Amino acid sequence: MQHSVSKDRFERMRKTGSIHYSMEIKKNLAEIVDKFPDNPKSMQYFYDRYEHFLSGDDSSFKGKKVVASMCIHVPLELIYAVGAVPVRICAGAYAMDQIGTEFLPAKTCPLVKSTLGAIYLDILPGNIDPVLIVNPATCDQKKKMGEMGEELSKPLYLLEVPPTKDTEEARRYWHRVIKRFVKKLESVTGNKITRRSLKRAIKMVAKAQAEYRRFNQLRKTAPVIYGKDAILVTNAYFFDDIERWTQKVSELNDELEKRIEQKIYVGKPHSPRILLTGSPSIFPNMKLPVLIEELGGLVVYEEFCSTSRMIWDTVAVDEWFLYDMIPAVADRYLKPSTCPNFTPNNDRKRKIAKGIEDFSVDGVIYQTFSGCQLYDMESRMVGNFVESMGISTLFIESDYNPDDFGQLTTRLEAFLDSLKNKK
Amino acid sequence: MNNIRKWINNANVSRFRFWVQILTFILFVYGSYFLIHIGQNLPTFACPYNPGSPGTCFLISVQHQMHTPFSSLFSWRGLGFLTSLGSFVLFFVLFNKAWCGFMCPLGTIQDWITKLRNRLGIRFSNYDERSFKRLSWIKYVLLVLLFLIPLAIANSFFGLPKVSHNMMSPFCQICPARIILPLFSGDTSQMFINFTNTTTIVMSSLAILVLALFFVGSFVKKRFFCFFCPMSALQYLFSRIGILRLTKVGDKCTRCGNCSRVCDMGILSIAEDITSVNVVTDNCMMCFKCVEACPEEGCLDVKVFNFKIFSSTEEGFFKRYNPDGDSKELPPLNSKK
Ligand code: SF4
Ligand code: SF4
Ligand code: SF4
Repeated sequence: MQHSVSKDRFERMRKTGSIHYSMEIKKNLAEIVDKFPDNPKSMQYFYDRYEHFLSGDDSSFKGKKVVASMCIHVPLELIYAVGAVPVRICAGAYAMDQIGTEFLPAKTCPLVKSTLGAIYLDILPGNIDPVLIVNPATCDQKKKMGEMGEELSKPLYLLEVPPTKDTEEARRYWHRVIKRFVKKLESVTGNKITRRSLKRAIKMVAKAQAEYRRFNQLRKTAPVIYGKDAILVTNAYFFDDIERWTQKVSELNDELEKRIEQKIYVGKPHSPRILLTGSPSIFPNMKLPVLIEELGGLVVYEEFCSTSRMIWDTVAVDEWFLYDMIPAVADRYLKPSTCPNFTPNNDRKRKIAKGIEDFSVDGVIYQTFSGCQLYDMESRMVGNFVESMGISTLFIESDYNPDDFGQLTTRLEAFLDSLKNKK
Repeated sequence: MNNIRKWINNANVSRFRFWVQILTFILFVYGSYFLIHIGQNLPTFACPYNPGSPGTCFLISVQHQMHTPFSSLFSWRGLGFLTSLGSFVLFFVLFNKAWCGFMCPLGTIQDWITKLRNRLGIRFSNYDERSFKRLSWIKYVLLVLLFLIPLAIANSFFGLPKVSHNMMSPFCQICPARIILPLFSGDTSQMFINFTNTTTIVMSSLAILVLALFFVGSFVKKRFFCFFCPMSALQYLFSRIGILRLTKVGDKCTRCGNCSRVCDMGILSIAEDITSVNVVTDNCMMCFKCVEACPEEGCLDVKVFNFKIFSSTEEGFFKRYNPDGDSKELPPLNSKK
């Protein structure tokens, strides 16, 4: 790599990087947990997971090969089916963002910088050492970042996501890409995908999806959980053992059900209900949701690739043989996606509209990371559409730097006040 | 009421359909042995060449009634035809295209062939859905010919010579039902090549060819014959007034494509179309597999008039496609089999 650094310097960077990272995690977690009264008991599990975010959990990765992914378009079922575990490594850490800045143009999106920083320093969730890092060809910055990762001699693999998802051509192309991906997975893990292993994987993920959908139903019913917690729950799906995650979400759901019966709600009765969309909030970068809720708003639905877009959609297999199961899995990772990398992307507008309906949303807050071109470009289209539904929108451009708290607070306060007045 | 509704929405319609198909197959193939007589002008292949048939297919009536000079067609015989058409429509509107999905003996046989292929673990062939869509016109052409040829036997069109009498009931001559269904009553007499003259040789050879295509086609492509079926074309003309309906609420659709990927007819519009309410298209056989596969609450509905009888639900989806559906536990990990 051009910016090659001496071994010494690397070690120093790694050391300070991980210290900063740990501090960031502690600090942000405290913001999320301590500033809010009466968090659900079952959330403790998730808080703990983040507490040990970097040290990882030995049992879930022990003796397993890990396939890292950088996007929601990587079919998890296939990774489980070759006996490996997927971990999504898209990073939200400012400490890593600063490392990434060393290699990438200044105006790059912080998510990309942060992820590259983490790959470079080998500071990944759970301290994993992936056998493959799958980089889907979505936005240009990710694509190019992947190329640099390759120069760092990391095992990067480009998954060719088509630029559109509406045509049959794109679908066929994607099916072929996935077929090749299966071969690659089989060769790096040494395991073959079998009818049985894939069926098991599909069902395992479906269980998680069913539980997640139940979670959403509960959120729809009553304001029982803060958005900041909901985001943490989905965010844990990145790296948690999936069966345990499902179990824990189920426990949380049970608790929330009880809370609904007892009418223990979060926020105030007149808290403006917010839909969040745009560039994804990924722990530890939780500043936007936390701030909104500190200021008296309530995030009720997130249309993010770190939340609903990642887990919601399901696999439907017609004939339970590999020849139909693999394309079925492939379809699930293409057709329902509302990633702005696809053109046209009317489905995203429709999904937001449905979110507004279902969750009785009062206002939409659209987050764009500075440097994220796709979300920035779609913001106008989405904004106009949302306004046409009679819902006000606030656009926030932000990054991982905690410095803009003051400015964000002012803007959010004004927006939330205007929503309150409308109510 | 809500419990009943939930029970139905969680049900496995495909399994239900499988049993209904067996029953209706017995009914339409052996009915007359049970002294059942349903009637004439049925909107399905109740083939009168089969001694067990409890009624007759509307297509044969059409071909007979069209075999008539224009002068009488526009008088009493025309009235006769309208009456037959009326009874066809009456039968049809009751179940709409579910005649295809649940009752047609030819459809059922094709589904059995698919089941057999599935048992053998042989994959289906992948075709571009659009190429089949492009062949959709064939069934309409067959339908038109089925009216025109008998007319051309009885009349001269534009001074051309009349078509030979050997072309009587032209569709029946090539229809696979005429050959297959009698076989179930032990009657093999339809399986032969008629050497009377050139026309009969050509037509009866064509019939054997269609028969072969029927079996081979439906082995590699689900419901292959249905893409070309003139009955389906005729039915579709009246589908809008069907009492049984398949409707969609576009706003609830994520366009995930689950429905179209499980559709035996490979209908893409069921997923893509987010504006129409009525989503029955010309190839649709109202099997409701799409409703089973849709994970969005109340996105696809089966209705009788405006009363919902079966809707897509989250819970139903996960019951049918998920562990709890067939077994509580995930299959064991040792996957080396
Ligand atoms: S399309 Fe024709 S062959 Fe197929 S089920 Fe319908 S009537 Fe029967
Ligand atoms: S399965 Fe349902 S949500 Fe998915 S595309 Fe079909 S109708 Fe839409
Ligand atoms: S659209 Fe639905 S009802 Fe019609 S044939 Fe396809 S799966 Fe069956």
